[in-house]
Amino acid sequence: MRPRTVVRTLSELCVTTGALLVLFVVYVLYWTGVRADSAMDEELGRLQDRWSRGAVGAAAAPGEPEAAPEQQLGDTPPEEGAPPGQPPDKPGDPSASSPQPGAPSRTPPRTDTPGQAPPAGAGPRAGRAFAVMYVPRFGAGWAKPVLEGTGTELLKRGLGHYERTARPGAPGNFAVAGHRRTYGDPFKDLDELRAGDAVVINDGTTWFTYRVDGRPYRTRPDDTGVIDPVPAASGYRTPGRYLTLTTCEPEWGHSHRLIVWAHLDATSPVAQGRPGALSA
Amino acid sequence: MYGWIWRHLPGNAWVRALISLLLVLAVVYVLFQYVFPWAEPLLPFNDVTVDNGMAVNQ
Repeated sequence: MRPRTVVRTLSELCVTTGALLVLFVVYVLYWTGVRADSAMDEELGRLQDRWSRGAVGAAAAPGEPEAAPEQQLGDTPPEEGAPPGQPPDKPGDPSASSPQPGAPSRTPPRTDTPGQAPPAGAGPRAGRAFAVMYVPRFGAGWAKPVLEGTGTELLKRGLGHYERTARPGAPGNFAVAGHRRTYGDPFKDLDELRAGDAVVINDGTTWFTYRVDGRPYRTRPDDTGVIDPVPAASGYRTPGRYLTLTTCEPEWGHSHRLIVWAHLDATSPVAQGRPGALSA
Repeated sequence: MYGWIWRHLPGNAWVRALISLLLVLAVVYVLFQYVFPWAEPLLPFNDVTVDNGMAVNQ
């Protein structure tokens, strides 16, 4: 083989490798976002369709919240009688509008039997969108579907609800995971959330307005305590209606997780229109 | 390698250029559709939960 051939082949290999790397970066940074954005729009559209067909909440007429059954979730700790609707007595809690006692709960106590298809009217089916999240701090147009479960494939189509945690607005901890980077970057700005910022959830019948407490909290990847009903590190001391957001930290790494906690501040039926936190 | 391919394509220069373009597009398609989705989870951007052990099973 002539030296000329060797040099040429080597050069071609280098050029090919470089092109591959560039293409891969384009794929990760751009194409996953394109795919995820269209998948999330699809999920949102399907959710709206389902809601407009009235598949949700025929039982829960807007504006008629029934008393939430206590011990709603199998994994809610047996703390002696969390009074429903008790505002989280955190120091500095704005408690502007008191949470209505008993957010409308169409979801009967979930049986935590893995693999068992939930009966009609129970919690949403795994992998299916059941709510929309709005975070004004991330931009006025920021609205992402929340899907049931936190599988890798699922998180490419929206935010994921930790299956064993509470329903939106229910006593306990409504925990949601999302991508910080790639796949639409839904939680790109999670570190910018500050105390008092609104995180609004719409589950088709009710707007739940949560308010962020404290600053984002950095923790280890295996710190499952952060999605406990009363997360130890959050500063909450009494059972309440909390929300936890988790994503990766640092932005482009996976050595840690970034956690944001919020408490339920207000609920309003969908019929009353968008809550104040979104129109402001 | 590229020279070899070029020499083995049929037709005149224009036809060869067109076929080359199609080949490139086919390669990019295969990469984006099959190869990169396989390689992407090897990067650390998918770990956004605090209970990966549970999530892996889904």
